[in-house]
Amino acid sequence: MTAHEEADLAQRLLVHAARKAPGALAARLEEEWLADLQTRRGGFARWRLALGCCWATAVIARELRAPQLATSGAPRALLGELRQELPGLSRRSLVLLVSAAVQALLLYGFASGFAHRVVRALPVVSHVEFLEDKAAPRPVPPPLAHPKLLSVPLIDLAYPMPQLDLPRDDTSVTQVREVLAPPKPIPPHAVNRVAGGPGKEFPQTADFYPETSRRLEETGAAHVQVCVDTHGRLTADPVIARSSGSRRLDAAALDLARAGSGHYVPTTEDGAAVNACFAYRIRFELN
Amino acid sequence: MSLQTLRVLEAFLEQPTRELAGADLAKRGQLASGTLYPILLRLEAAGWFVSRWESVDPAHVGRPRRRLYRLTPGGLARASEVFASFGQGVIA
Repeated sequence: MTAHEEADLAQRLLVHAARKAPGALAARLEEEWLADLQTRRGGFARWRLALGCCWATAVIARELRAPQLATSGAPRALLGELRQELPGLSRRSLVLLVSAAVQALLLYGFASGFAHRVVRALPVVSHVEFLEDKAAPRPVPPPLAHPKLLSVPLIDLAYPMPQLDLPRDDTSVTQVREVLAPPKPIPPHAVNRVAGGPGKEFPQTADFYPETSRRLEETGAAHVQVCVDTHGRLTADPVIARSSGSRRLDAAALDLARAGSGHYVPTTEDGAAVNACFAYRIRFELN
Repeated sequence: MSLQTLRVLEAFLEQPTRELAGADLAKRGQLASGTLYPILLRLEAAGWFVSRWESVDPAHVGRPRRRLYRLTPGGLARASEVFASFGQGVIA
């Protein structure tokens, strides 16, 4: 059912309700309520108004026919209205009928997709965040060797010293300590690696949000690992690296990752695209 | 007097000389149509309100005319009495 058909049906229900009002009130209420209907935006608001007008008609008719029962409450007014039209039914049967009709209306709303459209109107905020490239870690340079320190025991040279023709040295004890200079570190080859990710034309997360999850207000973030070639195309089927906690959202994340093949930005090393695997997070969130 | 009726009266008492349509009142008072319109008819029948059609040509404006409600002097006095008996801040 289209939005136009829904609006038309709500209007017909409203007109029907107004025409059930007693006497001259019918024409007045019809025009008044149609004017009110024009101010309502959205199918849900229109349906709410139309159903409320049905209720109002029942209450007004009841009050005009039996003013002394005006304070008896709307449910009794509505049931009284229905009983006059269906005199063969008991009050209990009428309650059951009304209850069944309400439930049938709700089921129809969900089955026909009306509820989907209401939920779809809610804004969806989606995020794609990059994670560190776990599949291909950057090369880590080997740790530098600690400076090697060698000590020589103290040597007492106080007795007797041979007389050498050397410059005078007042020091009686000499400490000799050999310290090796630390080895010069070998500079590692630093590869400037930039992990890939979804590109500009990547599909929107909102388009893959499962309808059931929207209805249930189910949110979560799935980590998806993909392997991408130098042209941004998948080279293997993506896998869930970490579940969102929902099978529906995980499946939607995989669908999104597959649909994005050809729209990934490849991983680069020193500016050159390379085949690589990386993970990223897809978040399904209702705001 | 019900809470919903008090909300309707409160909307009018903000500007007692102002005319309001059902849609305005539903929005201000957060009232469903099934509750609002019986209240309006009830208070009009009791002489608290008078109503008239909006002075526009539906064919010209492209929509049906709105029914505009206004407090009568008697309705204003009685509504004021009701709120004075409750004090301010009754309606949540």
